[in-house]
Amino acid sequence: MRLKKHILLYIILLLGVIVTTLPMIYMISTSLKPNGALYEFPPRFFPSISEITLENYRYILNEGKFYINFLNSMFVSTISVTIAAIVASALGFCISRFRFKGRKQLFGFIIVTMIIPGTTLILPQYELAVKLNVINKLSGLIPFYVAWVIPYSTFMIKGFVDNLPHELDEAVYIDGGSIYTVYFRIVLPLIKPSIASITIFNFLTAWEEYPWANTVINDNMKRTLPIAISGFFGQHQFTQWGYVFALSALSLIPVILVYIVFQKYFVSGLTAGSVKG
Amino acid sequence: MLTRTTSNKLRILSLLLPGLIIFGIFTIYPILKLFIMSFFEWDLGSMFEQSFIGLDNYKNVLMDETFRISFVNTIVYTLVTVPSQIILGLLVAVYINNIPRLKISFRLIYYLPVITSWVIASLVFKYIFNTEGLLNYFLKDILSIAENNIRWLDSRIGGLSVAMLLGIWKGIGWNMVVFLAALQTVPKELYEAAEIDGAVSFTKFKNITIPYIKGTILFAVVMLTIGGFNVFTSIKMITGGQPAHQTDTVLTWMYYKAFSTGEFGYSAALSFIIALVLAILAIIQFKVLKRDS
Repeated sequence: MRLKKHILLYIILLLGVIVTTLPMIYMISTSLKPNGALYEFPPRFFPSISEITLENYRYILNEGKFYINFLNSMFVSTISVTIAAIVASALGFCISRFRFKGRKQLFGFIIVTMIIPGTTLILPQYELAVKLNVINKLSGLIPFYVAWVIPYSTFMIKGFVDNLPHELDEAVYIDGGSIYTVYFRIVLPLIKPSIASITIFNFLTAWEEYPWANTVINDNMKRTLPIAISGFFGQHQFTQWGYVFALSALSLIPVILVYIVFQKYFVSGLTAGSVKG
Repeated sequence: MLTRTTSNKLRILSLLLPGLIIFGIFTIYPILKLFIMSFFEWDLGSMFEQSFIGLDNYKNVLMDETFRISFVNTIVYTLVTVPSQIILGLLVAVYINNIPRLKISFRLIYYLPVITSWVIASLVFKYIFNTEGLLNYFLKDILSIAENNIRWLDSRIGGLSVAMLLGIWKGIGWNMVVFLAALQTVPKELYEAAEIDGAVSFTKFKNITIPYIKGTILFAVVMLTIGGFNVFTSIKMITGGQPAHQTDTVLTWMYYKAFSTGEFGYSAALSFIIALVLAILAIIQFKVLKRDS
């Protein structure tokens, strides 16, 4: 009885796995086919063995722009998440531990900005970017990405610090330590895993961000990967799907690596806000 | 003692300040600016010259037929994708929770669509659903269900459906992880007691699991509703709002008005209306959340 039930569950889950992975497998299989001008007929899910070619990848890698786009994405994402980790953990710590003036309002603002879709602010942010003269610059992306992820990151960090016992802080204060001692010596080491998980989420957010980068960056050499891919897509009258998907697959590699290596942080980061213990 | 508290205040301030400055300039200022912009006649060409026109922008948005279409599209998108993601995500979570082996492998695979970028996933879906694409080939030439190639992306319902399908496909993994975590909090004894009483799986699910994870379900509803209103990249890549803005959502329509026709004032009013609608929805949902927990 139990065995029968388990087999049924495995079959259902495997069917789900097929649906889940099908689009990505199709993307990779298309990127391994010779680059036809438009749509092949009949379309096939897999290329025949003799047909498999790395021609599309060779094209993308030889074209040279790929490395620049890749480095742009890497630079923007890395700097953004580092700044975000530093400022959000300090914010989260202070909001959790101290009753300063305006604390409630600040936390209220943070919650409200989590509710407002980021894209609704694209217009005044564009106006600000023009004023700050950061249009078409990578520095036009970084501070906006940081600001974008601050609310959620702060919210998460505050939650984690809330759960740390106050006794540790008090012991430090009795020994004559300052707020800095508590923050840098006690709290930061304890919330390291939480910082890791918000950092991974923020990295993925920055790595795949499209609407804002597409608005601010025009210059080919300043493009991050998502707009390089979409630009590739719109560039030719007949989309070169082989190239588009080869570029897509290459840009997914860091994401998959981060995902597999930091798996456990994904789960803890995701579930912290959702489950009331 | 006074100096001590003063220096503590300074220390707190020094920790807060970097974040406050960035948050203030790049988020709070734009929110206020958006509100102000929405009362002005303001366009891309004359960015720094504006004239106050009161509520005219709001009037224009609300009277606009295309805005109404995009609003209905967004509501439909949200009403379809939110429950679908929750139900499917919860089902996958319950199944994974009930198998003896390979739990982590399944979780790993089911989460993959979540980390795939919107741009890439949209292009793959566009490719599959294209008129000469793989799906039509299956339907027409292999299964012979369709007589001709179906133009999925050339109608309002078709284009939206593909975007919704993508949204659901991409969202199941997130729900699965969140619900898997919630399921771990349900005490095993409850199930054992129910089994002694002879309850079948579905009864257990309905009477024990659902009430126990209600808070998580509401959390998911809040987050996914925000996500539904935020839909942008998939529509922009898959249909581009075509045909004739029939598949636009509020944000793609706002973006079009701002950056293609340059009507900043109009778009600002539209953005503000959306933010307001979401804030009200979220407050209602949070109230329900609080009352239930």
